[in-house]
Amino acid sequence: MRHKYRFTAVLLVGILLVSILLTNLYVKTEETGDADKLRVVTSFYPMYIAALNVIGDQSGVELENLSEPQTGCLHDYQMTPADMRLLSSADVFIVNGGGIESFLSDVAETYPELTILNASDQVELLPESEQEHDHDHEADSDEEHSHEAEADDEHPDDTDSDAHTHTHSDENAHAWMSIPDYRIQVQTITDGLIKADPTHADVYQKNATAYDEKLAALEKEAEEVKAYTEGRDLVIFHEAYDYVAEDYGMHVIYTLNLDEERQVSAGEVADVVSEIKEHGITTVFAEELYGSDMGSTIERETDAKVCYLDTMVRGEYEADSYIKAMENNIRMIREAFAP
Amino acid sequence: MMDFFTEWWSYGFMRNAFVAVLIITPLFGLLGTMIVNKKMAFFSDALGHSALTGIAIGVVLGVSDTSLSMVIFAIAFALLLNKISSKSTASTDTIISVFSSCSIAIGLAILSKGGNFSKYSSLLVGDILSITFREIVYLILIFAATLVFWFVAFNKLNAVSLHRTLAKSRGIHVKLIENIFAVFIALIVMLSIKWVGILIINALLILPAASSRNLAENMREYHFFSILFSVFSGIIGLIISYFTNVATGPMIVIVASVIYFATYFYGKRSA
Repeated sequence: MRHKYRFTAVLLVGILLVSILLTNLYVKTEETGDADKLRVVTSFYPMYIAALNVIGDQSGVELENLSEPQTGCLHDYQMTPADMRLLSSADVFIVNGGGIESFLSDVAETYPELTILNASDQVELLPESEQEHDHDHEADSDEEHSHEAEADDEHPDDTDSDAHTHTHSDENAHAWMSIPDYRIQVQTITDGLIKADPTHADVYQKNATAYDEKLAALEKEAEEVKAYTEGRDLVIFHEAYDYVAEDYGMHVIYTLNLDEERQVSAGEVADVVSEIKEHGITTVFAEELYGSDMGSTIERETDAKVCYLDTMVRGEYEADSYIKAMENNIRMIREAFAP
Repeated sequence: MMDFFTEWWSYGFMRNAFVAVLIITPLFGLLGTMIVNKKMAFFSDALGHSALTGIAIGVVLGVSDTSLSMVIFAIAFALLLNKISSKSTASTDTIISVFSSCSIAIGLAILSKGGNFSKYSSLLVGDILSITFREIVYLILIFAATLVFWFVAFNKLNAVSLHRTLAKSRGIHVKLIENIFAVFIALIVMLSIKWVGILIINALLILPAASSRNLAENMREYHFFSILFSVFSGIIGLIISYFTNVATGPMIVIVASVIYFATYFYGKRSA
């Protein structure tokens, strides 16, 4: 035990050197940014895909995503020191808005000169769904509104005014799930990028127009399916599908918000089953990752079929991934509802 | 290579974190020595878990600053644990376990109501960005208070840890000393739990002192190595976590664990 001071010194210096070596190796593998380039950072997957389509392969513009492609929804995302570093060198930060990026206020405080581009600026976000009956039904019966349910959807505040008071943060931010809203988001991103980087304005505009054409075709495809789905009742296992229901003119009877870290109580399961039986629901929309356990329970307990739609929050970094995923969703909805 | 020591300095949140680590790790090392001696590892673990309940109670009562309810609850919890474990006949570790499980269950039950637990999940692994200037001021205050307590009461505390009855017969207020010590552990754990994380905070209290025990032959060496290991793993863990994009608390614990295993095998071989 006489050499313990020497041993301690060797040990600590050894750990120090190894950690310097390893972190250097690690950091080297990460690309270091170029100061001349316009650096665009997106908050998460759908925003990255939208920005990727607008920017294309334009040189001099660097596009990076804050979270990993498999992170999924950002509801409980923790900023890491590397994220702060990435943002400190960014020029534009594209976010979905609507409260999904809960860390946004911290970012704005830390980097006041960073341009934060809120893609949902021009989108009318739906109110956050409650874990209970749909507002529209109550509103239709209680109030002497001559509006159709669809008209109510456009003015969500009207339907909420009597029973529920929603604050601004209680919005359902999953706007990219609706094709028309996603088109607005892409347009907002394009406008913002043109403002931030006028030299490439024509490229952005051209890319955005080309992408919008594809999305318009997609929207048309969805419209055709709407003939089967219009007015049907629905149970959803993620509030993101509120937007799908809106697109297809369906009524959401019950929302069970299953996502990260959510534990369902036995009472809720019973509620869902009885709602499905009572309203004769035939289809449930659920997310594969978090909803499949619940989905198989529902299929066992009731006659309803569970339709696993992609929420498009994770996937590969490919420009066409949104379109592919959406086509897949449309196909599944058609199969579920078409006679 | 110098980048390793300089690059992160330009970020405000890293400077805050660095100062916090510099203040809190010596305290972990210092208190850890006595926690290990008195075999209170389980006690401090239970205390960490009570943070969840403290926050939950704060949420229920509508307190705007849940740190306050967390600290108050932790102090009450620590005193209660002390009282009951000295009175009851059941073995201490059972009682601590009951309290720990009960408080974490209450915390989880309240916080997960309405599926909102994800809001608090950062507490489990810690969030380095949550260190603010105000928290650093608190840390400095607790740092000074702990040092004063240590210089005044260390001998008494040591006597209590060696032999309670003997210490009592020498006129030492055993209960008072133990309660004050528990309150200090509660304060330090609660002030650092937000960035270290509930799951691993106990490791920071135990590992440096345990490593030090593998080497030290007297009280002075025991303190010296414990504080050295604690500060070292804190700083290195923080810097590595900055470069490799992992949470800070776990990284610090990994470094501390490496030190523990190295000293363990060294101590075994030379013994």
